[in-house]
Amino acid sequence: MATTTYTSDQPTVPRVSSRWARIRRLPWPLVVGGFLLLIYVIIAITGGLWAPYPYDKIAAGKPFESPSVEHLFGTDQMGRDMFSRVVLGTPIVLFLALTSTLLAVTLGGLLGLLSGFVGGWFDGAMMRIFEVFISIPVIVFALLVITAAGLRLSGNFFVLIGVVALVYLPRTGRMTRAVTLDLVTRDYITVARARGESAWSIVRRELLPNATGVLLVEFGVRAGYAPILIGSLGFLGFGVQPPTPEWGLMISENRVALTAAPYTVLAPAIALSGLVISLNLFTDGVARVFGRQVRL
Amino acid sequence: MILRVLLTRIVTAFLTLLAVSVIIFAAVDVLPGDIAARVIGRHATEEMKENYRKMRGLDRPVYERYGHWLLGAVQGDFGDSLVNDYRVTDIVWPKLKNTLFLAAYAFVIYIPLATILGSLGAVFREGPIDTGVSLATLIGLSIPEFVMGTFLLVVFALKLNAFPVLSVINMAEGFWDALRLMTLPAVTLAIAMAVYAIRMLRDNLIEVLDSEYIRMAILKGLPLHKVVLRHGLPNALIPSLNVTALNLAYLIGGVVVVEKVFAFPGIGTLLVDAVFHRDAPVIEAAALIISAVYIFANLIADLLTILLNPRLRTT
Repeated sequence: MATTTYTSDQPTVPRVSSRWARIRRLPWPLVVGGFLLLIYVIIAITGGLWAPYPYDKIAAGKPFESPSVEHLFGTDQMGRDMFSRVVLGTPIVLFLALTSTLLAVTLGGLLGLLSGFVGGWFDGAMMRIFEVFISIPVIVFALLVITAAGLRLSGNFFVLIGVVALVYLPRTGRMTRAVTLDLVTRDYITVARARGESAWSIVRRELLPNATGVLLVEFGVRAGYAPILIGSLGFLGFGVQPPTPEWGLMISENRVALTAAPYTVLAPAIALSGLVISLNLFTDGVARVFGRQVRL
Repeated sequence: MILRVLLTRIVTAFLTLLAVSVIIFAAVDVLPGDIAARVIGRHATEEMKENYRKMRGLDRPVYERYGHWLLGAVQGDFGDSLVNDYRVTDIVWPKLKNTLFLAAYAFVIYIPLATILGSLGAVFREGPIDTGVSLATLIGLSIPEFVMGTFLLVVFALKLNAFPVLSVINMAEGFWDALRLMTLPAVTLAIAMAVYAIRMLRDNLIEVLDSEYIRMAILKGLPLHKVVLRHGLPNALIPSLNVTALNLAYLIGGVVVVEKVFAFPGIGTLLVDAVFHRDAPVIEAAALIISAVYIFANLIADLLTILLNPRLRTT
């Protein structure tokens, strides 16, 4: 299907140097998604300064109080202020999602580039390993890693980041390798080889810059799914442990009171879905800038 | 020639499953450390642990234990549960049947849902219907299954009282009652699958509708719905078939979370509970069975793609 590619030198657009015009020329998902993400980041950074209560302050109000001026999203079973918990959960969710995705895309991307470039038995072995890991459904694989790490550690941030990164690494690796196979046929790679550059140097200086767009989009797609995976694990009881205000965990904690106090579930659910929507929109925008179609 | 391609693919699937079994065994049986200490608890003496290891055959070398486990698994024997000494097979089998029933139901809802919405998006492209469908799929993509399930639960089970809150199908009276009990989890799964498929089908159908033979059919004076149903959809469905088969694979993994939302007694709930209770043989059995279904769903997707696409047959 036809995709409009947005490049800096589109002839039809008159040269207007005002900043507004430049923003308007960007694809709308990038602008909307970027704006929403910015709000999330601002809340994550500054939330600690203005959140009305600490996240674990029990009996800030009566249990299951309805939303009011004092408790914007009401209170949960223990009378904790839901607004504060949602706000103070933002940096946790963002941190977990972004670090795990960054780890996976960095390692997976490097292995994929190397595998596609080196080829031969190394490539064959890498691909087999990746495929085996991809053959286990995501949530089952995550549960296996948690079992292997030991349940006692399941709330540990490092374990959680490791779990999500391990889930994505082979998927990112395989995707990058496919792109690399296409790149290595290009002339500039042949030239670099002829110059006698080392494999590592070619990967770093020729392949990596040219795969940046793909890796960025890959990062966005994965980052968009990471909060869902982390939330699902929290929901199942294997993610972040109470009383940490992780949104998936909050949904699971307050589900018992769904009819009596629906806002205690709605607030974290909307925060979580909103974050995923903004990440998906932003990624879609980035993909359009790079002239690629992204399958969300 | 084509037979060789198909055979290679089938053999690869079995080898993959074998490698997956190694990962599962390593993750559950080897890496977490001493099973004896975990099962007996903090009052374990050295002697008790030693006896327990002998009883369970844990004193044998790892490769021997793996071989023993795999041989049993192939014959459908996964040993005994650590929690209640039942045979794992007896625990897993009824749950697996429930899950497969649920998956089939979800699939039956998914097919028309995806086909109708995808076609609407393509036929009325760029119009309000298309925008609506696009927006709905974008939101659908961004709402985790457990949130979606919870919302459906609030609206249909708690507010409207149309469906039960818990999908305890063991208590169902007859087939129709079981269907009613499973509707909410099945719809949750169907929506989760459909969002991908709707986008795929819309794009594919637009591509097909732009082709010469479709324009020809329209010029001949064929009414639009006939053009779409007779010429458009069949050609757009083949590329979407792969997505559908991949969705089938997704279904078997996604079921884990959704079952837990509705307390559905399936293999996903079983797996989660087993991880919680550190019941190694049950974790292994559930993880292996789910992975096996996943691998074979993927295999079927690939085989269908090869068989239906002449260009792929030679590669």
